[in-house]
Amino acid sequence: MSSNINTPISRRNFLKWSGAATAATVVGTKTPVLHALVPSDKKADASNAEYHFSACDMCLNKCGLVARVENNVVTKLDPNQKFLKSRGMLCARGNAGIAQLYDPDRLKYPLLRKGKRGEGKWQRLSWDEALDYAAEQLKKIADEYTRCGVLFSPGSDMQSTFVHWFAEVFGSYNVTTHESACLLSRNRAYLDTFGEVPFSDVLHTKYIIMAGANRYEALITPDSIDLMSTRKNGTKLVVLDPRYTKTAALADEWYPVRPGTDMAFFLAIIHVIISEKLYDQAYAFEKLYGLEQLSEHVKQYSPEWAEGECEIPAKDITRIARELAAAAPAAIVYPGRRTSDYVNSTQIRRSMAILNALLGNWDRPGGLLAARQVGLSRVELPEAPFYEDNPDDRLDIGKAHMMFEEEGSFKHMRDAIIEAKPYPIKGWFVYKHNPLQSEANRQRTLEMMEKLDFILTVDIAMSDTAWMSDLVLPAPSYLERQDPASGLQGSSACACVVTRNPVVPALFESKPVFEILKELANRLELGEYFDFTLEEYRKQQLKNLPDAERALREDGVYYNPSKLYGVYEGRIYKTKSKKIELYNERYAEMGVDPMPVYKSPRKVPSGRFRMVVGRNAYFTHCTTQNNALLHELMPENSLWIHPKAAAGLGIKEGDLVEVSSAVGRGELKASLKDGIREDTVYMASGFGVLSKGLTNIYGKGACMAEILEDFSDELSGNMAMHETFVKVARKVA
Amino acid sequence: MMKKQLAMVIDSSSCIDCKACMTACKVENQVSAGNWRNWIKVQDADFAQSGRPEGADSMHFQPGNCMHCDNPTCVQACPTSATYKDEKDGTVKVNENLCIGCGSCIPACPYGARYRRPDKKIVDKCDFCEHRRQRGDLPACVTTCPTKARTFGDLNDPDSDVARLLKRNKTMRVINPESDTRPNIYYMSMTAPLNWPVKAEIPTPIQLWKFVNPLVWGFVGLNALGVLAMLGKQLLVKDEPPVSVHEEKKEDAHE
Repeated sequence: MSSNINTPISRRNFLKWSGAATAATVVGTKTPVLHALVPSDKKADASNAEYHFSACDMCLNKCGLVARVENNVVTKLDPNQKFLKSRGMLCARGNAGIAQLYDPDRLKYPLLRKGKRGEGKWQRLSWDEALDYAAEQLKKIADEYTRCGVLFSPGSDMQSTFVHWFAEVFGSYNVTTHESACLLSRNRAYLDTFGEVPFSDVLHTKYIIMAGANRYEALITPDSIDLMSTRKNGTKLVVLDPRYTKTAALADEWYPVRPGTDMAFFLAIIHVIISEKLYDQAYAFEKLYGLEQLSEHVKQYSPEWAEGECEIPAKDITRIARELAAAAPAAIVYPGRRTSDYVNSTQIRRSMAILNALLGNWDRPGGLLAARQVGLSRVELPEAPFYEDNPDDRLDIGKAHMMFEEEGSFKHMRDAIIEAKPYPIKGWFVYKHNPLQSEANRQRTLEMMEKLDFILTVDIAMSDTAWMSDLVLPAPSYLERQDPASGLQGSSACACVVTRNPVVPALFESKPVFEILKELANRLELGEYFDFTLEEYRKQQLKNLPDAERALREDGVYYNPSKLYGVYEGRIYKTKSKKIELYNERYAEMGVDPMPVYKSPRKVPSGRFRMVVGRNAYFTHCTTQNNALLHELMPENSLWIHPKAAAGLGIKEGDLVEVSSAVGRGELKASLKDGIREDTVYMASGFGVLSKGLTNIYGKGACMAEILEDFSDELSGNMAMHETFVKVARKVA
Repeated sequence: MMKKQLAMVIDSSSCIDCKACMTACKVENQVSAGNWRNWIKVQDADFAQSGRPEGADSMHFQPGNCMHCDNPTCVQACPTSATYKDEKDGTVKVNENLCIGCGSCIPACPYGARYRRPDKKIVDKCDFCEHRRQRGDLPACVTTCPTKARTFGDLNDPDSDVARLLKRNKTMRVINPESDTRPNIYYMSMTAPLNWPVKAEIPTPIQLWKFVNPLVWGFVGLNALGVLAMLGKQLLVKDEPPVSVHEEKKEDAHE
């Protein structure tokens, strides 16, 4: 039987159908009976509503929520007021979780590709057929190309950990995640300065500089909410952004910095603080390594010099440096998250980390906070098998100076797969990850896929990556499945544990990836490594937290009251010098600049624009654009362009424009914005999709990944998504 | 027992335009695609001065919903008394059983708070989530708001958060000077935009009807009401707002 995924079903039929599916599942279910968390005063509710705790999965924040269920249908998601990390809120995406659960575009049963990749012709398979086929393909690749011949790309949800485990027992080192399109360069910079990646104590700070971060739109809990609370208490916010974001709009000061020059600004701030001796000298003597070298190094970087680079007036740089130092140690240069921007992004973030070090804010109120132990136990699993014929290393090893071995770099992995060097990769297991939309240079990803014999995607809906796959397996949403426990740290708010139990039974034939992996393992004679239930796994995780199960049941969250400040008292830093490293000896040994050396970004050629990307509060990367509720908030993306630049090109508001780069092109409507630099354009991610299975957004807007060239950070291998120059032209109808 | 006046005090300077309130409301009240019971108005930044808007020139976000006015023009415009001011809690309500979906109340609201609900063929609007309040919960938009820009409660209760906020802060109401409906949504001062409420338009036949209504009610009876209501519906169901017969001097809105 061949069926086209795009066959529309009406809302009414869908609801009938999903109702039937729900009923059917309930009858024969073995789903563990869940704690119906019905506070006594609500039991008399005429609607017979039940309330269940869960944790949101619309983005990575995992905000606590309470799901209202009436007649087996989830009717509302509300914030769990006891969930401190989110400060008891649920954002638009959190509220729209219902539309992910009841999305008519959901994958409903296993689908095998018929016809060419991307043609949209599928054959419905039974689960047994699908899993037999998948196991057979994986085995074939393992036999022919070794087990490292399969690349694994887990998403970032609470079951992704099992994909990592499966890759390990299957025997492949080749795992790439979302991280190398996101925050690896920030992590690199902070690890190489402080020895760990910190959290920001936004709530208690007095002064905060945000550069390359947009916290009022790219929501991170509790930072986004704490930023408003702290502002109400008089904290000053300075924003550097080529774009007038909502964060910029609500800041005290906004500077439309020349893209790629933030390092000049921060080096000049350091210059002022050192030359005017505005730092705590006793602290510096005790904690910092390399102040002498740094003092010498930044002499060249005066505010007057920096003004010429970043276009922020020298007098403002000097003033901000003095204000920042006066507020220290309750002052933060916000580390940010997505730093996949420039080819030197690790060094840019190093300059910010070094400034934080000079402010003496580490491990202090209003500064940068160290990680706290949540107390989850590591689950004891059998030792993964060793495969003698495997190559020595992952495929992308050594492609950048300071890559993270467990994360790698998608960009370098993709290049190596295309070149088939040093060895070929022929299979790809993708779980809730969508590189065709999230990784720069979509054509290159398609080229990589052409080299592969077998692509398997497990997802909730038909993402672009699923659409181009050979076998697509339907996963349930977070409201329908049991998950392991997950430890979260929420800055000064909390260190806590959350988990998930199904709020309603899984719809259609969807199957959690844990079950899929378990059944694949059985078929590949690896069953012993998955010989446990989720319940057992979670029990082990919680074994040293005697009160956790009760708290999770009664409050939906467990808090571990651990020390917040002064964690490093009497402790050394996990760096080579055992101090906070302004000067990084290891970098010097490797021939890398031990302190950030400013290099002016490439000039935008005339007639071109630099394209930048960034989030809004409605979309998580490239995953929620098709959600019916969120789609209504932004039905398509548009090109932000300055009115003067637009006038020069004869472009008016709403005109269709073509945006093209060296690697791709796209068409979308122009949005004339005074709040973007004349040399810069911007578009939101996740549109211009290939998949006809995303019926709300198919045919809408342009694809960021198609247009962006695949530059990458020299040190971490993180994608560099602000290095692309584009041409913009009005599209003549 | 003292009568309530449910109200909201909104600190629009806390709003980050994340649209959690709009999405929460849409789900809670099953508002159809294309329609909203609440909103966030945007005051665009003024780049003309310096290129770097600051202070009052900055972009500003202003959440809102039905203002549950003390002088509700929508109530005046309703031919069947389906829309009424509830004396018990001070909210403006729509009685679904009486609403004939004529839409007269839609242009009568200066705030555009009302819409035709396609599935029920009636007019719908914010009711401060009455069904949630009956369970002891706050309205969905209030509960979900990340920055807690919206505060909800009873103005007549001096211990309520809204009463306290009102007492301690300078607040303002957003009105069209030609149609001061005395709204019960208060904004902390310096909110923007201010120029968006329109002049309330109450259709002529409705005004006439309201005038003769008490006289004819006794002897025309329910049949006549039905006939007139249907007539009214036919006359008014068009999208253009009917011509106003207000005798007031015509002035351009000065904001």
